[in-house]
Amino acid sequence: MVSDDPTAVRCTDIRRHFGEGEARVEVLCGVDHSVRRGELSFLVGPSGCGKTTLISVIAGLLEPTSGAVSLFGRNLGTMPPDERVLFRREHLGFVFQQYNLLQALTAAENAAVPLLAAGMRRLEAVDRARALLDRLGLGSRTGAYPRQLSGGQQQRVALARALVHEPRLVICDEPTAALDHATGEAVMELLATAAVHPDRAVLVVTHDSRVYHFADVIAHMDDGRIVRTEAGPSSPVPTSPFPSTAPA
Amino acid sequence: MTWVGLQMLRNDRAKFAAMIVAVSLAVFLMQNQAAILATMLSMTAAQIRDVKDADLWVTQPEVECFDQVRSLRDIELLRVRGVPGVAWAAPLVKIDAIGRSDGGRLNTVTMLGIDDASLVGLPHRMRVGQADAIRERDTAVIDPGGHELFFPGEPFRPGRSIRIRDRRIRIVGVSDAAAPFTGLPLLHTSRSTAAALSLGEAHLTSFILAKATPGSRPAEVCRRIDALGGLRARTTEGFARDAMRFYGSQGVPMLFMVTIGIGLVVGAAITGQTFLMFIKENARPLSMLKVVGTTDRQLGRMILLQGALVLGLGSCFGSAIAAAVCDLVRTQPFLRSLYLPWEIALGTCGALASVTGLALYASFRHVRALEPATVFR
Repeated sequence: MVSDDPTAVRCTDIRRHFGEGEARVEVLCGVDHSVRRGELSFLVGPSGCGKTTLISVIAGLLEPTSGAVSLFGRNLGTMPPDERVLFRREHLGFVFQQYNLLQALTAAENAAVPLLAAGMRRLEAVDRARALLDRLGLGSRTGAYPRQLSGGQQQRVALARALVHEPRLVICDEPTAALDHATGEAVMELLATAAVHPDRAVLVVTHDSRVYHFADVIAHMDDGRIVRTEAGPSSPVPTSPFPSTAPA
Repeated sequence: MTWVGLQMLRNDRAKFAAMIVAVSLAVFLMQNQAAILATMLSMTAAQIRDVKDADLWVTQPEVECFDQVRSLRDIELLRVRGVPGVAWAAPLVKIDAIGRSDGGRLNTVTMLGIDDASLVGLPHRMRVGQADAIRERDTAVIDPGGHELFFPGEPFRPGRSIRIRDRRIRIVGVSDAAAPFTGLPLLHTSRSTAAALSLGEAHLTSFILAKATPGSRPAEVCRRIDALGGLRARTTEGFARDAMRFYGSQGVPMLFMVTIGIGLVVGAAITGQTFLMFIKENARPLSMLKVVGTTDRQLGRMILLQGALVLGLGSCFGSAIAAAVCDLVRTQPFLRSLYLPWEIALGTCGALASVTGLALYASFRHVRALEPATVFR
C-alpha cells in the first residue's frame, strides 16, 4: 500500500560510493531531493555528476551507502529485496535513453511487458498495450517490430511500456538523447501530456537543455549533490520544498 | 513471461538453430554408437535367444559363450534327461566349416545340427521356405546374411547348393535367424546331416537343450544338473548374459563408451556454450526485464523453458535421425539385427539434459547476478 503523502519521492542525505581504498569514488555526497505528485521534475547536470546513480537509487536498483529513499511514503531501505521488485513492478515505469525494446517482440508486445511480468494473460495485456499505443499515435504500428520503427516511434513504444501498468512514478533516463531535436520535442510533448497526472510524478534525467521548458521543477546536480532547485518554465510550483545542499 | 523468453530464443535464429543442431548431432552420435554396442552385445547371445522352445542350455563347465565349443559325450544327454524336473533334452551340434557355392564363392560357415526327431532349435521364423524341410538328408536353411554372401544380390531359388566338406548341401529356405556376432553364414541342418559332415570326432554334441517340466523352476533344475558333475546348466537368459559378459569384457565396449562420452561432452559443451553466449548477449534486455519488475524466479523459468525447448527439439531430431539411420542400415542382411532400444534413446537424452542442465544453471546464475542498474548506462 502507498500512502496519501503528496511527496512522491523523498531522498534524505543519500550517499553512495563505488570501490574501496584509493579506488573509492564518492558518487552521491548527501543528496536531499523530493518530487511531488503531479510534477514533471527534471534532474540535470553534466555527465558523471551522479544523475544516473541517483535515479538507480530512487528506483531501488542500487542500495545507497547511507541515507533513505521513500516513494509515496514507503521506505525502500526497509523493504526486503523481493518486495522491492514487486513494488517497482507495480508503481514504477521506466523510459531509457536506448529504448531497450525487445527485438523479438512487436510494439504492442513490448509495451505489454510490465503487464506480462505482473502475470496478466498475454492477449489481455497486449490488448491494453495496443489501446495505449493508439492513444500515443502509434495505432497503425502496433504489430511492427522495433527494427521497423524510427527512433521516435521506438521511444513512444518505450513510453507506452512505462505507462501501460499505470505506475505512480515514471523515471526517464535521457529520453531525448538519441533523438533529433524535433523528435525529442515531440516525445517530450507526449511525455508531458500522457505521463503527467495529478497522482503521478515524472522524474526526467537529461542534459538536453532544449527540452527544459517542459519541466515543472529543475534540480541541478553537480559533483554528487543537488546544487540548485528551481521552478521550471511550465511550473505552477514556485520552488522545491527541500533546500539545496549546495555548499555555501 | 515464459512466452517472452521463447520469443527471444526464436528471434536469435542462428544460435537457436546452432543449439538444436548441436543437441541433435550429439544425441544421434550417442544413440547410434550405443545402439551399435547394444546390438553387438546382443548378437553375441543371438543364437542362444533364438532357441525359443528350450529354456535350459547345458555345456561343458568352462564354456562361456555360444562360440566356444567343447563337445559333450553322448552319455551326458542321457544323464540330463534323467534329472528330476527335466521334461526333455535334445542335442545341438555346432560345426564351423568351409562352404563353397556353385558360383565358386568361398566362406566359412557355422552349421547348427538340430535333433532330427524333435527339431528343437529350428529357426522359428522363415523368410522363404519351410524350416522342417531340413529333415531331408543333406539339406539346410540359410540365414539372410549367408544367402547374400554366397549368392550376392540374387533372390532365393530352390535347388541351389553349397559344397561343404565334399558334400553338396541343398538350400531349402532362408531363415530369419538373428545375425551371428561372428558374421559367418548360419546354416540350420539336421543332426544327421551335420554328423555326415563331421571329421570323425568322437563326440559331436556341442550343447544340450532342455526343457523344465511344468511347475519346476528352471534355475532349480540347473542346480540339479550342475550337481551331476562335469556339466554346467544355465537358463537361456543366464547363458545369454554370460555370453554378453564374456564379449563385453574384451574391451570393445570401452571403445564405444569413449565415443559416446565424446558425443556427450562435445554436444553438451557446444549447447551450453552457445546458450551461455545467448544469455550474455541478451544481458541488456534481461536487465531491462529486471528493471521493470521481472523476478529472478520468472527469469529462471524463462531460462528453463528455453533450455527445455532446445533439448526437446534437439533430442527429437537426433532420435529421429538415429532411428532412421538404424532402419536404413537394417536393410543390409548382415546388419539386420541393429536396433535402438528405447532405454538407450531415453538414457542418452537424459544424460545430455543433465550435463546441459549445468550450463542452464550457469546461465541462470549469470542472469541473477546481472546488475539491473546497468540498463541506464
